[in-house]
Amino acid sequence: MGKTAKTKSIGHYYEMLSRYLLPQRSALIGLAALLFGSIGLQLVNPQIIRYFIDTAQSDRSLEPLYYAALLFIGFSLIQQVVSVIATYVSENLAWRTTNRLRGDLAEHGLKLDMSFHKSNTTGSIIERVDGDVNALANFFSSFIIHLGGNLLLMAGIIVLLFRENVLIGAGMLLFVIGAVFVIQWIRKYALPVWTKWRQVNAEFYGFIGEHLEGTEDTRANGATGFVMNRFYGLLSRMLPIRTKAFLGFASMWVTTIIVFALGNAMAFAISAYLWKQGSITIGTVYLIFYYTELLAKPIEKIRTQIEDLQKADASLVRIRELLGTRSKIQDGPGAELPSEPLAVEFDNVTFGYDDEPTLDGIRLRLAPGEVLGLLGRTGSGKTTLARLLLRFYDPREGSVRLGGVDIRECMLGELRTKVALVTQNIEIIQGSVRDNLTFYDESVPDERMIGVLRELGLGEWYDSLPEGLDTPLASGGGSLSAGEGQLLAFARVFLTDPGLVILDEASSRLDPLTEHRLERAVDKLLANRSCIMIAHRLATVERADKIVILEQGRIVESGPRKALAADPDSRFSRMLAAGLEEVLA
Amino acid sequence: MSTFSYMWRLIRYRPGWYVFNALVWTAIYLMPIVPGLITKEFFDSLTGHAATELGTWTLVSLLVGFALARSATVYLGFITDVNFRFRMGMLLRRNVLGHILKRPGARAIPGSPGEAISHFRDDVDQSEEAVSWSVDVFGMTCFAVVSCFILLRIDAELTMLVFLPLVIVIVAAQLATTRLQKYRAASRESTAKVTEAISEMFGSVQAIQVAGAERRVTERFRRLNDERRKSLLKDKLMTETLGSVFSNTVNLGTGLILLISGHKMRGGEFTVGDFSLFVYYLTFVTQFISNFGTFLTYFKQMSVAKERLTDLLQGAPAQILTEANTLGGKEREPGAARLRANASDKNEQASAVAGHRMNKGPVVVGMAADERLEQLDVSGLTYRYPETGRGVEDIRLHLRRGSFTVVTGPVGSGKTTLVRTLLGLLPQDAGTVLWNGRKVEDAGNFFVPPRSAYSAQVPRLYSDTLRENILLGLEDCGGQLERALHTAVLEEDLRHFREGLDTVIGPRGVKLSGGQAQRTAAARMLVRDAELYVFDDLSSALDVETEQKLWERLFGDRGEATCLVVSHRKAALARADHVLVLKDGRIEVEGTAEQLLERSESFRRLWSGDESGS
Repeated sequence: MGKTAKTKSIGHYYEMLSRYLLPQRSALIGLAALLFGSIGLQLVNPQIIRYFIDTAQSDRSLEPLYYAALLFIGFSLIQQVVSVIATYVSENLAWRTTNRLRGDLAEHGLKLDMSFHKSNTTGSIIERVDGDVNALANFFSSFIIHLGGNLLLMAGIIVLLFRENVLIGAGMLLFVIGAVFVIQWIRKYALPVWTKWRQVNAEFYGFIGEHLEGTEDTRANGATGFVMNRFYGLLSRMLPIRTKAFLGFASMWVTTIIVFALGNAMAFAISAYLWKQGSITIGTVYLIFYYTELLAKPIEKIRTQIEDLQKADASLVRIRELLGTRSKIQDGPGAELPSEPLAVEFDNVTFGYDDEPTLDGIRLRLAPGEVLGLLGRTGSGKTTLARLLLRFYDPREGSVRLGGVDIRECMLGELRTKVALVTQNIEIIQGSVRDNLTFYDESVPDERMIGVLRELGLGEWYDSLPEGLDTPLASGGGSLSAGEGQLLAFARVFLTDPGLVILDEASSRLDPLTEHRLERAVDKLLANRSCIMIAHRLATVERADKIVILEQGRIVESGPRKALAADPDSRFSRMLAAGLEEVLA
Repeated sequence: MSTFSYMWRLIRYRPGWYVFNALVWTAIYLMPIVPGLITKEFFDSLTGHAATELGTWTLVSLLVGFALARSATVYLGFITDVNFRFRMGMLLRRNVLGHILKRPGARAIPGSPGEAISHFRDDVDQSEEAVSWSVDVFGMTCFAVVSCFILLRIDAELTMLVFLPLVIVIVAAQLATTRLQKYRAASRESTAKVTEAISEMFGSVQAIQVAGAERRVTERFRRLNDERRKSLLKDKLMTETLGSVFSNTVNLGTGLILLISGHKMRGGEFTVGDFSLFVYYLTFVTQFISNFGTFLTYFKQMSVAKERLTDLLQGAPAQILTEANTLGGKEREPGAARLRANASDKNEQASAVAGHRMNKGPVVVGMAADERLEQLDVSGLTYRYPETGRGVEDIRLHLRRGSFTVVTGPVGSGKTTLVRTLLGLLPQDAGTVLWNGRKVEDAGNFFVPPRSAYSAQVPRLYSDTLRENILLGLEDCGGQLERALHTAVLEEDLRHFREGLDTVIGPRGVKLSGGQAQRTAAARMLVRDAELYVFDDLSSALDVETEQKLWERLFGDRGEATCLVVSHRKAALARADHVLVLKDGRIEVEGTAEQLLERSESFRRLWSGDESGS
């Protein structure tokens, strides 16, 4: 596999680099210049020390010694400044490029269809949009320059050592190769344990999180002891893994200690031999010692860079996979939907999430302005039908038409402004009340929002908000009651101007009194609009003109509500009777 | 508790490990003294200044031997370190978790669970680091003392001239580092905002797509990202500037030594070996000073971490671990002993009993016959949410054995608050609760099985098998589980799960529908053989047929159990022995459904709001 896989992945790197990094070319060039300067300074310094020692040992004038010392200090200071600037530039570069990537990934992800979002948890998407991109940060900013720079530093040191003496140069070259190899080899054993530790850690905090959310259930059902026992169970599993992980880390440190002791030992042996032969000065012995110590840095750096690259490799694959995921739902050529109540037509529609069809041969017609009551047990396909209307999915067979237009011909944005959906799941985002009503659409005037809130009976609630529309709402809607949250979801729909409204069990969390109050608001909402009401309660479909009953994805009964109610043999009237029985019991 | 005594208590938790750890790490820190001396000896042996007669080969093997010895010590050090810090960190986590599980369930943590998790992880980690680094500080101080002594003996003047200013520079820089925390906090906050934004964007993806707001939401995300870049850059620039002071101090120091030692070297009183030793120790001294700075930073962070963990505890200090503190081993009255809590050994049971005796509430060892619920009387029960001032006020309630009482009322009238306050899941502001005429002091510890069981309005299920989610550690004896599944109308759904009760649910398993989750919570409650069942809005996500079955079975199977139910369903209201109608946190009117239909206009409206057309 090796070769083709590698060429391919180099291609991937190149593609990402050219897309995100090349636009920042000038910063990149500046950064390279800074780093090369700093390498030069690092290589020069030991030469100054050698000159110093040798001069001090001779009978020459002392004056140059002071210049040498001052030069050394001056170079050190310059190097310090250079390295700070270089870090700043590379950090800035990393954030700019990765932020662009983060934004692109988020935008791409948001546009993907529901089948993608159903199979990926929010946690795993955070991991991709932030975690994986973070792993790439170094790759984008400084990887090539650091890797190149450190290789150059290492090569520079070895070349300079060769210049002193072939023996010491060759010895050090062998040492460097050996060191890199051994350190890589040890890492192979140390790394998997860390991965395991991270996994068990993730499990631990998952456990803690769940139980922090479930204190009410745990407490009132006497399960505190159970939770603590599970906690202890996790601990006894964690300690051995953590010990192993720490020992892995110790191994890497220990390897460095031993490898560099060996390096020094070799430098000592070779330079002592050369000194005794009289072929080098004592200053040169110190130079060799200094360069050997200096070698530790690039070896370590190159090691961490390669490590980063390996991490980045996995991340890059995942990111490319996400970017490569095409939404099954694509924009149509852009047919316009009429700005009036929309007629709805399902023409022999079949659809399934897997092989099993969830909807099977659905034929359905709703005239503009009519209200359809959609009934059926849980799992009969009611919600799926609504999803098809918003193109969260496309039918496998047949077509869905709104106002006579096949919805696959429309732009998604256009379709979704004309069709509104209210579900029983209220999604409250962190932000102000305004953000929650408009999703950051700044064109909606405040008065209109306040008007809608009052219309929905949220006036009192609005008046109690300390900062009006700017009052922040906690994520998940913690500060709202379930009913208030649902009313807020209604308010969102009121603020757009859809031609078709789908209410999917939209009032199931409301108490009858509030629901009753909402009725009037819904009356207003439905005036001059088509509507599909999905319900498992009969009361909800009271206002429907037509009734459709679904069972296992098929329409088992449909017709005008009044006619069905009057026909004693219809399922609908039997359901009504069952409902009444329930009331009378 | 001061930060210092917090640290002291943590050290005292396992003093043996701590002392052992400190000894090993002091050895690790002292060991670099020797390679420095070997290096000096090497250069001196070449120039003929050597104090000893050791040859090059001896020195070389000493160098390698010493590296091996240090390596062995490092291994040992890591073992002692991980053992000490793991025990200490987990003690903190255990105590916090244990405490949270003792708090009123609905107010167990002050903020969001996400926030609390970050305290569990980061604040405990920081405390762990600080305590662990205290060992390093001791070791480093030892090194500094010994190396200083050696250098002073070689050349006192040079040591003073070079090391003193350098130490001052580094310490000053280090003190500035602690000022960094402001930048650090800002960058951490902006990072949190970004993560939060992603989590929300994708958590609400359907709503965003429905609203066609993809682009607007991403724009906002890009702005947040840019803010993070700016704050992180500031942070990084500061850190890097200070960091480079440390890393380049060695070079500066070397330069200074060169500047001063020139004529001494010429005179022969300062050898190349001495020079190498000075430079060698210089590296370690600067490294150690910067490590000391790290410790100071951790110590400062630990004081913040301590504050935050204390906030999470809502008052109590970190306590000594009382191991295996299970709330198990309750014995039941004869005849009701079908379920046994899952205690793994006798010691646990004993400590659980002891734990209970310390609570103020009545001792929950088993349930004596006279604890059987005959009547429950509540008067003047009041709770107001501190944030809004809303809540329930002056609730009076009387439950007879075997009765079925329904609490109803419009949204926000305080139904859930009422049952939570009664069960001690919220701390009551006022009121008396009498169980068979005896006052209940600590409702939270009192209202647990076998006295009562509860299913919440929005039930929480855990990533585990369905069986564990229902049993929560109970043992299933004599078909209790099967009966609970039947009553909760779950058998049908179970047939659709390939692995039945062993199906793993939660984020990493099968996702249950809203109705299935509610019925699982009902089974969780029903499997606990309790005197009093309290359920909050049990059927809001069920379809008509399932709901009817559920109510029928509940009425049929409950036996003598007493029920307190929050609901606005007719099925429940019509069957109730007694109905309470709440309005704005107070009981507006009460009676049977029939009486209320006659007497109360608001009850009629609630009644007819349901099924108004049928």
